[in-house]
Amino acid sequence: MGVNQPTALEHVLITTKVEKVINWARASSVWPMTFGLACCAIEMMAAGASRFDFDRFGAGIFRATPRQSDLMIVAGTVTYKMAPIIKRLYDQMPEPKWVIAMGSCATAGGPFDSYHTIQGVDKVVPVDIYIPGCPPRPESLIYGFLKLQDKIMTSSLADRYKEIFEEVG
Amino acid sequence: MSEPIEPQTPAEPEVPTGPYVYDYAASPQRQVVLPKTVPLPSLKTYRAEVVAQQAADEAKWQKMQADYETAKAKAEAEGKEAPKPPVKPVPRKDDNDMKTPWPQEAKAPDLLRLQELLGDKVEEVFEQAGELTCQVRKEALHEALRLCRDDASLKYEMLADQTGTHYPAAKDFAFSLVYQLTSISRRKRLRVRILVPEGFEPESACSLYPGANWMERETYDMLGIRFKDHPDMTRILCPEDWEGYPLRKEYPTVGWGQRDIDLREDRGGVLMRIAMEKAGQMGINLKQPQAD
Repeated sequence: MGVNQPTALEHVLITTKVEKVINWARASSVWPMTFGLACCAIEMMAAGASRFDFDRFGAGIFRATPRQSDLMIVAGTVTYKMAPIIKRLYDQMPEPKWVIAMGSCATAGGPFDSYHTIQGVDKVVPVDIYIPGCPPRPESLIYGFLKLQDKIMTSSLADRYKEIFEEVG
Repeated sequence: MSEPIEPQTPAEPEVPTGPYVYDYAASPQRQVVLPKTVPLPSLKTYRAEVVAQQAADEAKWQKMQADYETAKAKAEAEGKEAPKPPVKPVPRKDDNDMKTPWPQEAKAPDLLRLQELLGDKVEEVFEQAGELTCQVRKEALHEALRLCRDDASLKYEMLADQTGTHYPAAKDFAFSLVYQLTSISRRKRLRVRILVPEGFEPESACSLYPGANWMERETYDMLGIRFKDHPDMTRILCPEDWEGYPLRKEYPTVGWGQRDIDLREDRGGVLMRIAMEKAGQMGINLKQPQAD
């Protein structure tokens, strides 16, 4: 008794790490890009609309340009002709950036084992979260997004620095 | 005294040597089975099929009778009871509800008019399920389309669709090119068809129907048929550096998913060349200065 009691100063101050604050800010305001490729985009719109309300998690503002967005939700089939454009959009997004592969087409090609379909968007851009389903319901997208928030909260700036500048070179 | 039964040890499963890599090129889904028949709707072919079927039925009936005669003679020689005489099989009648629309003789005035105007340039005219088809010679396509558009009694103002089909089993042609025409003023539809061999370049219909531009580009992209006098004979759906023509029958449709190709690479430098051309048109010099 008495040792763990907060002092008068600690009633008004919180001590934490800078990294945690930054992660908290990033995870609470992930702005996705307005980017739909196929029928999964309809579910993405439903997740953003009032019934499911993506805005509860700070991700309701779908930006119309990659330069203002943090998250690319690849919602739909990735064709061979679309792949370079996806790569360019990903390159235009500023760091930090994340990618969600939504639906079975974006994760592994889905039913289209055909000449025009990329078997998974991870052949083109690095993917953080894979969401199965054909198409996944908005609840699945929200669950995947919460997992992404967990990932952002546990990420470390030093690891990211290492990933970008030291390992890739 | 029986020998003690030795406990059998299960055979060890074969361990694959080296890393396990699934060979997509050898997968059974990737193997292409080319069709052996030519299912081209045609009155001539249908009539030939009917005649061949009648001949086969007749031969079967003759064989049944001959078999009966020999069996009867054998039974008489052995003093046994004679076998039953054969019954001629009755051809099965079509159910009226499930009647297949066979090609019929052309009776529509449009087809007769076209035949009268074009003469021996028409190869075949027929109707099937109320749809009119006119097959012309491949050199007379432009003339036939011009007549269909300009003739006062035909007046097909619109080219609704232009497409093709690959028939690898056919002997004297490889593709059928189909022009679906629509007359808005007369509420009629007509199909003009030509059969072209591999490598033949039919005349473009762009001068008659400007809407044929993209349709012919799509036909070129999917089947590899080039059109003469087309303003822009390039691919429209596939990327510019694509190899092969996907709608041909020998093109595999399953198991060809892009797994192994690294998209960050520029295959054959085609994309780089296109980027250079576009930059050159805009007056940007993208070329690196070369050191001597």
